[in-house]
Amino acid sequence: MKRYYVLIGNFGSGKTEISINLAMKAAKTESAVLVDLDIVNPYFRSAERRKELDKAGISLLHPVFAMSSVDIPALPPDIYSVFVDSHTTVIFDVGGDPAGATALGQYKANFSKIPKEALQVLFVINPRRPLSSTPELVLDMLHRIKFRSRLEITGLINNSNLAAESSVEELLDGYKMLKAVSLETNIPVAFTTGLKQPLEGFLKIALETGLDSRYIGTPMEIEIFMHRDWDRFTEFGI
Amino acid sequence: MAKQLMKGCEAIAEAAIQAGCRFFFGYPITPQNDIPEYMSARMPKVGGCFLQAESEVAAINMVYGAAGAGARVMTSSSSPGISLKQEGISYIAGAELPCVIVNMMRGGPGLGSIQASQGDYFQSTKGGGHGDYHLVVYAPASVQEAIDLMQTAFDVADKYRMPVLILADGIIGQMMEPVEIKQGNASEPVKKDWATVGWSEKDFTRPRAVVNSLYIEVEELEELTGRLQARYAKIAEEETRVELYNTEDAEFMLCAYGTVARICKTAIAQLKKQGIKAGLVRPITLWPFPYKAVHDAIAAPSVKKALCVEMSAGQMVEDVRLAINGEKEIELLGHSGSRVPTAEEIAQRIIQMRGA
Repeated sequence: MKRYYVLIGNFGSGKTEISINLAMKAAKTESAVLVDLDIVNPYFRSAERRKELDKAGISLLHPVFAMSSVDIPALPPDIYSVFVDSHTTVIFDVGGDPAGATALGQYKANFSKIPKEALQVLFVINPRRPLSSTPELVLDMLHRIKFRSRLEITGLINNSNLAAESSVEELLDGYKMLKAVSLETNIPVAFTTGLKQPLEGFLKIALETGLDSRYIGTPMEIEIFMHRDWDRFTEFGI
Repeated sequence: MAKQLMKGCEAIAEAAIQAGCRFFFGYPITPQNDIPEYMSARMPKVGGCFLQAESEVAAINMVYGAAGAGARVMTSSSSPGISLKQEGISYIAGAELPCVIVNMMRGGPGLGSIQASQGDYFQSTKGGGHGDYHLVVYAPASVQEAIDLMQTAFDVADKYRMPVLILADGIIGQMMEPVEIKQGNASEPVKKDWATVGWSEKDFTRPRAVVNSLYIEVEELEELTGRLQARYAKIAEEETRVELYNTEDAEFMLCAYGTVARICKTAIAQLKKQGIKAGLVRPITLWPFPYKAVHDAIAAPSVKKALCVEMSAGQMVEDVRLAINGEKEIELLGHSGSRVPTAEEIAQRIIQMRGA
């Protein structure tokens, strides 16, 4: 069955990194296409990793002027092809916040024809990002993004992290947050994502302390593809 | 409070709110858009005012008005937008009003590019607008430092009744780093008896407050500029900030500010592996420029040569040369056109200078 994943969430919550990871995993056995639908951020987008995606055999579609330093939110018509082509995994990496989710609205008719079980609309949450630190703030953002996307959110992703300083602590806080959001919305937790070490540490503690697996979902180890230039050239902090 | 993962722009906006800023007037331009975006969400929640003006010129004049009324107020923009604000900035300086301006520099001249640059050093430190005035200019090199400098910027603006500029390259604005913002740490608001807040029934005796930058009489204008110059001299004495890194026994001295200073630190580590001792002198205030610290770092007997690294065709290098006043030769590694120098390139240049 052809599967669709749509990644939405706050600006900077980790949608692009998770999208590429999902695509890389899918591409091992499936024919995958990644749609970079980000119309709000001219800087960090999956299109930057075209080389790695090409190598993995992942098709990539992106806004017309992506990577040109030109800030024009124009989407190419060939995005419609992913709803009818022969790819078996389709991943939409959507721009952040309600503004970014607006780009999804025009595909409502196409999404509505997809069988329910084949479409996952995943809301990515990193409580360590600004304006995401309480369940109230996350719920407010979730409702506004859902409204703009014209889609039903089917799952939550716990992507609680502090980039290079990530630890188990972040995922534990994320667990509490997602449990609260899940209980409030009845949306299940689909994934808990993290770098190898924090994720393994979190799962160990979860097992020991009896955390509810319903609010953990499927653990997904993240490999960092979106290395920023400054990870290298500013390795010395101030 | 737990650390947060923040972009420089978001962090600067939140730090301003924590510093007691309740008025933000701005106009969109990349790469600083995340500041107004963040402010538009946060200001209403803290009882503040976010307003997207019809232009940069309007925004800076709203800042002028709010500052005159005694408010903690800020605006932000990127290079071409800051150019548009210069008239208003000169007026605010002339009227002796405090405010904070943030410039997330992008490539220039003209519309340039949306990538990071340090091409606005001259504009920021040598005037920008017309007349005999200065801004205090802070150049953060990390997201955390940008946060810490926001509080300082508002305090210094109030203390000296003048506009303060945060000058960061677009990388600082766009990069995400784990940071800590102290909550409710704002300094006590200073008494602004000069603010145009109107007479109250309780006090008809206070002197009339007037916001003005027009002085027709020669003597009056000279009195103002004299007062400003005396203030600037005091600021140079008390507010100059600089970081010295590995300067002890260094054979080569790098001079850089902002993101480029961090790249230099990586280059210094690379050179160390090859047995080459290099150090860095990093101005944190670009005005007042740390002339003495830069002089002393480069003039040290161990230093053979010095290299100024900038994301511009060479602007700060003029102040570095002024500081050393011909005692030693200062070389320049400057990239304009929004290209970011690499650590390898800087290290390679030092190796070349060593061989020459």
